[in-house]
Amino acid sequence: MVLEIKNLTKKYNKHKTGLTDYSITLENGILGLLGPNGAGKSTLMKIISTISKPTQGTLFLDGIDIVRNPGHIRKILGYLPQDFGVYPNLNAYEFLKYIAAMKGVGGRGLNQRIEVLLEGVNLMADAKRPIGTYSGGMKQRIGIAQALLNDPKVLIFDEPTVGLDPEERVRFRQLITELADDCIIILSSHIVSDIETIADEVAVMQGGRLITKGSQQDIMKHAENKVFEVLVAPALMPEFKSKYSVIDTSRQQDQVRVRYISELNATAPSSTPVKAGLEDAYLFLTQSNV
Amino acid sequence: MAYLFVPLHSASYTTLNVPGFKGAYNSAWAGYVSAIMTTVMLSMYGFLLVNSGIKKDIDTEVGLIIACTPISDFSYLLSKMLSNLMVLLTIVCCTFVVSIIMFFMRGSGYAFVLANFVVPYLILAVPAMFLVASLAVLAEVFLGKKNVLQFLIYFMLFGITMAAINSRGANNLMTLIDPFGLKTITSSIAHEISSQFHTDIQNPSFGFIFSGQKPFKVFIYEGIHWQLPFLISRLLWVGVSILLVYFSSFFFHRFDFKQTAVSKKPVAEVRQTNGPNLAAAGINRSLMPPVVTDYSIFPFVKTELLLLIRKGNKWFWLVNIGLWLAMCFAPLAIAHAYLLPVLWFLQVTRWSDLATKEKTNRLHYFTFAAYRPLFRILPAQILSGVILAIAMALPLLLRYAIAADLYSIVNLINGAVLVIVLAVAIGIITGGKKLYEIIFFMLTYAVINKLSFADYLGSMVHGNRIGYIVILTGLNAAALLLSFMVRSYQSRHL
Ligand SMILES: Nc1ncnc2c1ncn2[C@@H]1O[C@H](COP(=O)(O)OP(=O)(O)OP(=O)(O)O)[C@@H](O)[C@H]1O
Ligand SMILES: [Mg+2]
Repeated sequence: MVLEIKNLTKKYNKHKTGLTDYSITLENGILGLLGPNGAGKSTLMKIISTISKPTQGTLFLDGIDIVRNPGHIRKILGYLPQDFGVYPNLNAYEFLKYIAAMKGVGGRGLNQRIEVLLEGVNLMADAKRPIGTYSGGMKQRIGIAQALLNDPKVLIFDEPTVGLDPEERVRFRQLITELADDCIIILSSHIVSDIETIADEVAVMQGGRLITKGSQQDIMKHAENKVFEVLVAPALMPEFKSKYSVIDTSRQQDQVRVRYISELNATAPSSTPVKAGLEDAYLFLTQSNV
Repeated sequence: MAYLFVPLHSASYTTLNVPGFKGAYNSAWAGYVSAIMTTVMLSMYGFLLVNSGIKKDIDTEVGLIIACTPISDFSYLLSKMLSNLMVLLTIVCCTFVVSIIMFFMRGSGYAFVLANFVVPYLILAVPAMFLVASLAVLAEVFLGKKNVLQFLIYFMLFGITMAAINSRGANNLMTLIDPFGLKTITSSIAHEISSQFHTDIQNPSFGFIFSGQKPFKVFIYEGIHWQLPFLISRLLWVGVSILLVYFSSFFFHRFDFKQTAVSKKPVAEVRQTNGPNLAAAGINRSLMPPVVTDYSIFPFVKTELLLLIRKGNKWFWLVNIGLWLAMCFAPLAIAHAYLLPVLWFLQVTRWSDLATKEKTNRLHYFTFAAYRPLFRILPAQILSGVILAIAMALPLLLRYAIAADLYSIVNLINGAVLVIVLAVAIGIITGGKKLYEIIFFMLTYAVINKLSFADYLGSMVHGNRIGYIVILTGLNAAALLLSFMVRSYQSRHL
């Protein structure tokens, strides 16, 4: 499957723009969307899910215009909104049945599907009590389960790992990788390590624009030979921060170990070059674009 | 909202009732009467408008953020009270302006005296709005989410107060205690009339009294000479309002609730059973039966009914069942004219968010991305609402069926549909549930008071039976059509 997005612009009102002239082409596999708050990740995902209409631009799924013809993608879509709610009075079974009805999934096998899904997100033990009494992470898992109800071929997860404990994070990653063979999966996150481990491709966006897209290696190349570490006295930190873009700091005895980005010929004295990771590249890209 | 009150209050000019007399339409009469009517009407319905300020903070979880800020309970509640007050005063301002415009439009020939408008609004309406705003806070602190109970208690209090004001025993103390300052006005009107016509008349009374066309005499009203004790009593009411808020701040929950339905198992235990499962993580897709498409609306109807039934306190169902049984045995006319409208009204919070709850529960992402939501979910919502309404009217329907009274059966069904499509239409158009709750309340109030124009369930005698049925059915169809049109527009313009 191919999802072609061309020159997408979304204006919420005169002053608020969610996306500007955004183009990207997706194929089967996992795409990780990275970007700071307000970058337009959710806006993009809402438009792909046909919840929101673009002001300009086109979306084609396998050559079919899904702005004009949203039914085409809705049948094979699984969407986990960033900020979704539930009916607190329903239990997990009832809620999933309700969403299944919305998606037009039914028949005899429905109960079994729901059980497999609940098992998959580890909610069987709590399936019979009202969702209103769930913890934040449990609610998030119900959201993940509902996205998978209709055997989707396009899966959109807006910050799926929010509120999940480490165990459940691992479980989610496994689940996603299993599905990735014949689906387009898009997930957004602030946690670079969540995307790092599973995404085939990464897209970095900021201010409603796509900065770059590519495999993790491609992305990391942006920061290659630009990441350094150095020990700085705590008193000198403010000055250091004003000169260099700092990625990370950690205490080391009475000094601070600073990880920062710089051109090779402009480093602080006695810095050592270090290998750039995805996080470094992400921070480099978003900070240098401010 | 103001829009709602303006026609309402202008329509009730006739409700200040002095048998046999009418005031000349001068500045004083226009200003004082519109000030009183605004005060009374807003005291009655304004409460419904503002009694959800704290609830909003609970629902949006902003409350939790507030709870850990240094703001004191009193300042928080006071700020809620003031924002309630702002809402109410905005409406007061609107009716104030409208009353002046009306005065000019009617062009009665009397001089325009601004003070005759400003003074009564300032002295009567403003303190009363203080009281309403603080009672709303009080109600929310003590009765929390029990909306219907809040309404009932408030209207009981309101009714008692109005009865006390309308009672004849005019003494000074009563005048000062009267929170709306109405006694002062009514007795000044009575005084004016008796000095102009030398007749001792009953005090003017308030209420929906439609006394047809009768001969009347015109008297000239010049307003009131305000007396200091009365002015002080108004200030006292403002003080009492703030004191009430202060008092309630000692009982304020500060967003710290007991979990209502606590999990039976302690969390630790759940964790333990989870641990070993980790290896078997993931979804076994081979176990998944193939997707079968099913676009019927019955799963929705089922869920919507579940949601309707589970809404609110489950003990409330005891009241419902009690009324339901009473309808089986009470005289047919009473069951139809009083029990059923009351039983239906008690479900107001079940129905009021029928078509808006996706949005308030933030489920609209799912709904609007669903397959043809307009023709599946909305009909299911309406259907489930109507099913509940009809289930509640079942005793009556059966009794009419036994009596072979087809006319009444049709009327009841029309009424059930009306109650629901009204909720849906108003909910979809306004995006909220407040307006419906207010309108439904007024409708119920009017029906119980036997105002024939408000008879939505055929409990009164109408001259033209067929015409009546046609009108009701037409109304239902119009509301339905409107809901679908607006919802379809909304789902395309998200
Ligand atoms: N409904 C809306 N009305 C107006 N502006 C909006 C709306 N939704 C989003 N925006 C604006 O669009 C821009 C992009 O928002 P979006 O929610 O897509 O960001 P995001 O990348 O998902 O951020 P986050 O990481 O915080 O979730 C922001 O500037 C935001 O203020
Ligand atoms: Mg977002």
